[in-house]
Amino acid sequence: MARLAIALEINRERHDVLVEPDRTLLDVLRSDLGLTGTKTNCLDAECGVCTVLIDGQAVNACLYLAMAAQGRAITTIEGLAPAGEGLAAGEGPAPALHPLQQAFIDHGAVQCGYCIPGMILSAKAYLDEQPRPTEAQVREALAGNLCRCTGYQKIVDAVLDAADRMAAGRSAA
Amino acid sequence: MSETGRVVGRSLPRLDAPGKVTGRAVYAADFALPGMLHGRVFRSSQPHARLLRLDTTRAAAIPGVRAIVSATDVPDVRYGAAVKDEPVFAPDVVRYIGQPVAAVAAVTLQAADAAVAAIEAVYEPLPPVLDVASALAPGAPLVHEAWRSYTAIPILQRDGNVCNRARIVVGDVERGWAEADHVFEHRFTTAMVHQGYTEPRAAVAAWDSSGQVTVWSNTQLPFDVQATLADILAIAPSRIRVIVPGIGGGFGGKLRIGVEHFAALLARKSGRPVKVMTTSEEELTAAYPRQGTVIELKTGVTRDGRLTARQGRIYFDTGAFAGSGPGVASVATMVLAGPYRVANLHLEGYAVYTNKTNCGSYRAPSGPQSNFAVESQMDIIADALGIDPLELRLRNIVHEGDEGPTGQVLNAVGLEECLRRAADAIGWADRRPRPGRGKGLAIGWWTTTGGSSGVYVKINPDGTVALNTGAVEIGTAALTGAAQVLAEALGVDLADITVVSADTFSTPFDFGAQGSRTAFAVGNACRAAAAELSRKLLAQAAAQLGCPEQELALRDKHVVGRGGRVSLADLARQSQQAGGGMIAHGTFIAPGTAYDTKRVEGHVYPAFHSPSFHAHAVDLSVDEETGEVTIHRYVVAQDVGFALNPTYIEGQIEGGVAQGLGQTLSEEIVYRDGRVLNANLTDYKMPTTLDVPRIESILVEHPGRVGPFGAKGVGEPPNVEPPAAVANAIAAAAGLRITSLPITAEKIVRAAQTGGR
Amino acid sequence: MSRFEYHQPESLPDAVALAARFGAEASFLAGGTDLIVQIERGRVAPRHVIALHGVPGLDGVTVNGWIALGARVTHRAIERTPAFGGALRCLIEGAEVIGGHQVRNVATVGGNLVNASPAADLVPCLLVLDAAVTLLGPAGERELPVEDFLVGPNRTARRVDEVLTRVGLATPPSATGTAFLKAGRRRAMEISVVCVAARLTLDGSLDRCVQARIALGAVAPTAVRAREAERMLEGQVVGPALIERAAGAARGACRPIGDVRASAAFREHLVGVLVHRALDRCVERARRAA
Repeated sequence: MARLAIALEINRERHDVLVEPDRTLLDVLRSDLGLTGTKTNCLDAECGVCTVLIDGQAVNACLYLAMAAQGRAITTIEGLAPAGEGLAAGEGPAPALHPLQQAFIDHGAVQCGYCIPGMILSAKAYLDEQPRPTEAQVREALAGNLCRCTGYQKIVDAVLDAADRMAAGRSAA
Repeated sequence: MSETGRVVGRSLPRLDAPGKVTGRAVYAADFALPGMLHGRVFRSSQPHARLLRLDTTRAAAIPGVRAIVSATDVPDVRYGAAVKDEPVFAPDVVRYIGQPVAAVAAVTLQAADAAVAAIEAVYEPLPPVLDVASALAPGAPLVHEAWRSYTAIPILQRDGNVCNRARIVVGDVERGWAEADHVFEHRFTTAMVHQGYTEPRAAVAAWDSSGQVTVWSNTQLPFDVQATLADILAIAPSRIRVIVPGIGGGFGGKLRIGVEHFAALLARKSGRPVKVMTTSEEELTAAYPRQGTVIELKTGVTRDGRLTARQGRIYFDTGAFAGSGPGVASVATMVLAGPYRVANLHLEGYAVYTNKTNCGSYRAPSGPQSNFAVESQMDIIADALGIDPLELRLRNIVHEGDEGPTGQVLNAVGLEECLRRAADAIGWADRRPRPGRGKGLAIGWWTTTGGSSGVYVKINPDGTVALNTGAVEIGTAALTGAAQVLAEALGVDLADITVVSADTFSTPFDFGAQGSRTAFAVGNACRAAAAELSRKLLAQAAAQLGCPEQELALRDKHVVGRGGRVSLADLARQSQQAGGGMIAHGTFIAPGTAYDTKRVEGHVYPAFHSPSFHAHAVDLSVDEETGEVTIHRYVVAQDVGFALNPTYIEGQIEGGVAQGLGQTLSEEIVYRDGRVLNANLTDYKMPTTLDVPRIESILVEHPGRVGPFGAKGVGEPPNVEPPAAVANAIAAAAGLRITSLPITAEKIVRAAQTGGR
Repeated sequence: MSRFEYHQPESLPDAVALAARFGAEASFLAGGTDLIVQIERGRVAPRHVIALHGVPGLDGVTVNGWIALGARVTHRAIERTPAFGGALRCLIEGAEVIGGHQVRNVATVGGNLVNASPAADLVPCLLVLDAAVTLLGPAGERELPVEDFLVGPNRTARRVDEVLTRVGLATPPSATGTAFLKAGRRRAMEISVVCVAARLTLDGSLDRCVQARIALGAVAPTAVRAREAERMLEGQVVGPALIERAAGAARGACRPIGDVRASAAFREHLVGVLVHRALDRCVERARRAA
């Protein structure tokens, strides 16, 4: 089948791409759009490094056809924190970080970093649905994201702390 | 205890975090060049066979294919860390399922895959050697008929299917058995396991018009890859530039050449940049996993629990090529001795060829396997003698000034403190609270690998500092730690430092991210560079301030003295205008550790430098009906010498234990008849968030003499003790002694059913 | 060059028409977590992929005496359906253990049934609830009990021109408890080594079992009912000895294979353990519900 012109909404921006129907969203993001923040590894929905949000839900982009992503709101790590979402403003040219991103930095939750974009997006999707989770719930929500470096502990701590910060941010707003 | 410095010793955020949390950091797997082709490797389908014919004609005709390379495109060169036995492409014999035979570059990955599927190879099967026992049996087929002709490290003891036998002999074990009241003999086995980094191995190669090649890769050892590529490409190393843009975990699996040579060869032949990246299946069949082992351990002990002798043999199934086997077999003998006072030792490590993937180095290579045997047996002994396992260890552990197994003098020995604090933290007094629940201990020691590191440190005209190092930041935050050392020495903040790293062309040499050495060695190189910079800065400032250098000091981004101060920024600006800039070169190599050469044979690693000591304690429950293990608490006490950055050291401990628990309970690469049965992440089972407990880290500090501020290597040790600690706890909880890894639910249930108590 | 042509029908008749037209060369695409994997690994090679997410009416859950789950209802939706928290608890327990959130957000009950993995987790739950699938083809609709729908490993009774539209089941009587348990080598992201679903309905005295269903997954070419164990329970006063005997009978119903995940003997052993535990839970839940 020839390539088809489709429009994908990624991080609130429209991208017009030409894709063969069997292309995955992961491949289109990374190869066609240069959005390499979403990572590639097992291509089997086993590791979660390719996690993106589709209409706010965490999804493995490696098994999601680009064709099927039309008309959906896709969020990648690059689109996580536009300034002005009730977050602390960044200084200078650096963009503001989402509380999750800041918490991951503050808790030492980042080591090699390869799992981190997927991990942060999974956490965001979960916190949007469950703003005050327990540790057990956070672990369960992140069970589809493998990390080999951290043993998960500081990641879990960061997510719990981010939840607190986001709740405080909301009540302060 | 050590004083916390202004910068060192503090849990400051790592320098590369913002790029990583925003997805901006570029890893080798992300790297791309315009016009780039995609490469795939055609691999052997036979464990052992003669390659009679290779036909790439149909493959070459596939639309989009731009280059195919095989053995005829490469000089007849063999490479390898210890034995140069490995070809780029099998020229005549294939020795494992997955061995590279050819490679293809095409415009799309799909076309490359189609081309690989269209390559025809005709094999004549040869009898495969499927395990260590078969390899060592009399009359066994030789995995390498021409083994004698290979170039190898001269001291290796090679013979047929044994590519090294390393040995430590101390005293006389026969005398030790005679002294003993009891002699215990046990056999242990461990499985092959994969490092499990989440980023596949990847490389992009591009040749320029002058015949130089640049390779972007996620290697841990860019200079080693550069040297290997020089042999393979038959060009001088200086015409090869290896750059590591970013690496998503390595754990030793990305030390040696992985796909860089395929990318470079295909790029040269096609005239275009080429990217090659491994798949999960290739990682689990043709990478550098941790060797499976068989361990025979015999220990003599008096009735009051004093060790009199130990005899050990550990066989490493190192696969089709020696890889890191010979070195790993050497290190194993050090771990088999354990951090114990034992007067009589006869310890051997064998690296054995088989027709499986060649194995490499995985975080604390040989550590978990050897330690599993030693520490499991210690508990068996304790149980048999009716002595508390903690007490048995306390009676035999090494202390300050004792000798290691090869005669090195041990100093900064924090072992007793680690053992007592871990036992205390886990509540050792109540170690069998009820049936099905128990606590276990394991202790060990490990090295901080040597090798040299160089840095350039430059002070910018705005007062910030550029740290230029050949080291690779694999995720441990070692380079942040080194930058903290630098900041401390220069009187600046960590945030003032920018790190540039891992480019063989423009960064100084570094021995690489291996052996827990990076913060240690780069930190010390930074101290050397800072000392030189300090001299220059003080000299320049002294002239300006009209004051002797001895009265000046670096503080708060200035040179300060009684008569005033001048900023580093000003000094750097002046130097840049008039003197070529404020820059210094610092180097470091750890002094050798003296040992008794008569005690070792075939030994590539006869001393543990700046050794660390550690104790793990675990509290768990066993469901004897399902075999499920639930870990309630896990405590680690690790002698880190000096904690350069406590948060990231905790991160190493937490991650290392998690990885160790995977090896202990769920991970194994399963071979049958030379074929991997579980070459995917569905069935190669790494721990998830629900499988790893919270880990409590106790950072013990007995500062060493060599490391920056007394720091010792911290990255590898946490991988060493989990198997034994968990096995000992399972024995305490359920009376079941499992002597093979992984300790699966099935093994536990089977032991419970057959009364393996 | 794409491996397949992609179709996105916007109505059920259109979807059926496409299936009728392309027959065995077409696969329906729901969540994709099975199909795309199989295509990437070269295990299946459909020339046509018929995406279902544009077809209305396939993703609803209706609960009114009769329960119907549209074929495109995701595992996450099942987890979050409050009506399933009572006697239908096994549905939630079976749905919540597959993959991670990423998989459960898109993987559908219809896809799970059609993929018919012998180790599927939701399938034993549907079996113990006497669920039936509805298939729509050019000739109209037909209903099949799930047990008859499953033919073999990755094989079902669906004809190539049929689309599975929903799975339905009756609300269980009061004093019913259900449970689902699975065993694997790690606590998440597991293809079951063994999984077990059970349903017990007790009589008014809450002592006697009037109806029993036990289904086993990953121990036979399809999920299977342990009928001898069910017969042993029905009409009897429930107690530890009876449950133990039923668990033993359930072991006899399985025909497990040994593979890289577990030996056949271990699987059989686990069936006994998990059936016993699942039945205990059913009794406790049935009594609590009443």
